[in-house]
Amino acid sequence: MNGRGLRSRASAATSLVVPLVLVALTAVVGASGTPSLEGTVTLILCNLIIVLGLQIFIGNSGVYSFGQLGFAATGAYVAALLTIPATFTLLQTAELPKLIADAELDPLLSTLIAAVASGLLAGVVGWPLMRTSTLAIPISTFAFLIVAYNVLANWDPITGGSSGLVSIPRTTDVASAGLWAGVAVVVALVFKWSASGYRLQASREDEVAARSIGIGVMRERLIAFTISGVLCGIGGALAVHQSGTLSPVTFYFAASVTTITMLVVGGTRSVLGAVVGTLAVATVNELLRNLEEGASVLGLISIGAAPGLAAVGLGLILLVTMIARPEGLVGGREAGEIGPIRRRLRPRAPSTSPTVAATDQAGPRPARGSAGSLRAEGVSLAFSGLHVLRGVDLALPPGEALGLIGPNGAGKTTLVNVLSGFQAPDSGSVFLDGVDVTSWSPARLARAGLGRTFQAALPFAGLTVMESVAVGAMGVGVGRRRAVAIAADVLERLGLGDQAQSPAGLQPPGSQRLLGIARALATGPHYLLLDEPAAGLNDEERRELVAILREVIRDFDCAILLIEHDMNVVMDLCSQVQVLDDGRTVAVGSPEEVQAHPAVVEAYLGASYVASAHA
Amino acid sequence: MTDLAQSLIDALALGGLFALIAIGVALVYTVMGMMNFAQGEFIMLPAYALYVLAGLPFGVAVCAALATGVAIAVLAERVAFRPVRNADLAAQLVTSLAVATILQNAVSASVDARAQSVAAPELLSESSQIGSLSIPNLEILTLALTVIVLGGLGWLLYRTRIGLEMRAAAENFEMARLLGVRANRVIAIAFAISGALAAMVGVLIVMQTGQVSPTMGLTPVLVGFIAVVIGGFGRISGAVVGGLVLGALSSLLGTYLPDGLVPFRDAIVFSIPVAILIVRPQGLLGSATGEARI
Repeated sequence: MNGRGLRSRASAATSLVVPLVLVALTAVVGASGTPSLEGTVTLILCNLIIVLGLQIFIGNSGVYSFGQLGFAATGAYVAALLTIPATFTLLQTAELPKLIADAELDPLLSTLIAAVASGLLAGVVGWPLMRTSTLAIPISTFAFLIVAYNVLANWDPITGGSSGLVSIPRTTDVASAGLWAGVAVVVALVFKWSASGYRLQASREDEVAARSIGIGVMRERLIAFTISGVLCGIGGALAVHQSGTLSPVTFYFAASVTTITMLVVGGTRSVLGAVVGTLAVATVNELLRNLEEGASVLGLISIGAAPGLAAVGLGLILLVTMIARPEGLVGGREAGEIGPIRRRLRPRAPSTSPTVAATDQAGPRPARGSAGSLRAEGVSLAFSGLHVLRGVDLALPPGEALGLIGPNGAGKTTLVNVLSGFQAPDSGSVFLDGVDVTSWSPARLARAGLGRTFQAALPFAGLTVMESVAVGAMGVGVGRRRAVAIAADVLERLGLGDQAQSPAGLQPPGSQRLLGIARALATGPHYLLLDEPAAGLNDEERRELVAILREVIRDFDCAILLIEHDMNVVMDLCSQVQVLDDGRTVAVGSPEEVQAHPAVVEAYLGASYVASAHA
Repeated sequence: MTDLAQSLIDALALGGLFALIAIGVALVYTVMGMMNFAQGEFIMLPAYALYVLAGLPFGVAVCAALATGVAIAVLAERVAFRPVRNADLAAQLVTSLAVATILQNAVSASVDARAQSVAAPELLSESSQIGSLSIPNLEILTLALTVIVLGGLGWLLYRTRIGLEMRAAAENFEMARLLGVRANRVIAIAFAISGALAAMVGVLIVMQTGQVSPTMGLTPVLVGFIAVVIGGFGRISGAVVGGLVLGALSSLLGTYLPDGLVPFRDAIVFSIPVAILIVRPQGLLGSATGEARI
């Protein structure tokens, strides 16, 4: 992939190799130390796998789950029960099915089964949990953790109850833990860079904008939640085969706090952060634990044994991180994205020829119904008694540009929200190419060819310009490689090609507006709804915008609905204009007709239009 | 019939206790937009005040417990939560998790990680005979406190200047600030009240269970969270309803579940609200827009 891609080959390689080297070094340190050090390091590597599991969900979705340790516990119990020698199993678990009780599986096989079991559980539990709102997920996942603990601690005949399990074969050594941790690093990075990973990251940056480009936020969260569950299960299975004992508290609240601290201290958004955070926190934790067992400072002050001291230290580290450096030690970047390294790895100048011809994406579309248009019929909507829309009709034929104007509070944005599925109307219907789409979700509408922008730019601030446009295409199901080609083409047309690799959040306001349009265009819309795209642009930028939008209508075979206060922009671009006032359509017609319409002049244009026309 | 009435009163009492927990969580959430994990520790520390001051007259120990609750809540706000006031919900939640971890383990390290027993005054461990019903005095106290707190809170929020400021801050924090509401004071007072409520809950729990432990706040804080979420985020009335529903559910399940399932009561109690959230993501009383309202 060259400079037009999501990242350069060298940057990707660095991002992958650096964390793997860190894992390998850790394993080597463990292998060359005392048996006790080796045991400690092995457990740290198991923890790392769990933290990488957390990173996959929390880092990419931006939503905290406090329940992932429940999947580590699942993996641990499954792996333990499958490997404890049959005679010991029966002593501890009276009613375990004979098949499982008798099983004395090979450690690798038991780990794989544990991974499948915890992944299945995560998928089944995640399905309802991910349906709760963004605000409620941390709480519903926390509830899951407590439920899981309650079941493990009380289901004595199967799990051994609160006293737990012993005589578990200790088969995990530092090499196998290190290998699995390496696999986990690769899985986390591959997911982060997959189309699904990008869609999830887009929803993290802005959930509303993500839905507008076709992203099913729940679905993407569930995918990450399930993969996260698999890694946590593997981490739990390996850990239990290191320690040899297991109880319901092993993977409960304290372990949740420890792993979340590791992730947050390193930085949730990057795989490198998960690795660095785990190693840093584990090191400090070990030092504190030694202190916990009692020590004396310079032979003067003796500190007594105080269990809990290490956890206090952990809490302090977490607190200080949240206050002083909430983005974590590595600031949410991968190794290949860090300043000095990045400069050295800067991709070569991009080739000048667009990777994909415009015709490629504007090419033949699925046949449209004969009634091809976006139509609203009799749309009414009231917010707690306040009538915002009163029976509005609207028709946007293919390839046309329709201006939607009216004074502030006329209901223009609300109408666009209804058309794009963000707001259900009280009555009336919306038809897309003849199909009644009134009850469709924004994401489904986007996939059906309806794009939109918002009054605020709603950038995916944490992604690069290239990523935040490419994710538009990924949002409607285009594969990663093709999404990049589409994004490169759209960026080139909008004059943003030079900015492709810079952060979307750091663009000037004018570019951010264009970026919003580029993102919507990358979804390949038949109909594009633009909510005040020219607001905040200077005169020259406005002229450029009009030229770009003309090109969009022509080359992308895309109709445009334009809400705009700048009459020059409306008159330049639109063949038809519809005027709303107080939730009703006052006039529809060509710009000239509307301009002359007495009701319009009275309701809206008035002095401000006269002034701008003479400007 | 008597059995039914008895279990209904039990249910109401536990519902009242859960409502008190939920109000403490909801008050901070409405005013500051933070779900506070450390609310459980605001419950646990006053309970330890009772344990430490076991030799003193019970009334004095309870006052000390209340003071502890208020002090720790105000201190935590000043030291830990004020710096992250403008961070997003997730960051605030993790910060409060840090505070909870520190407080919980500080108690483990300085007292003991294991549970310690605390004797309740005799009056509170006895029951009163009302008609054919024998009602534990503790339940009567819990119900009385719930009613007093609800009344007091209603008076504070709707009849006083600071209450008006709190409601304004809950509605639109920035706007309230621009209009001269002193944000630091409003938030500090919300935390102080929340700490006092937590202390009451802590005392009631100790009286009921007869013991204190560093992790005793964990289940209550989850109760508070869930009550707030199913009540409809950030409405105090919703939190009260959520608490009552959850408490009644828990109490009735304890009475009527078949013996084999009783150990799994918590698992069932905490699963049902999640089911409610799937059907009504905005909670029982929440508005579709999900904005914070007192």
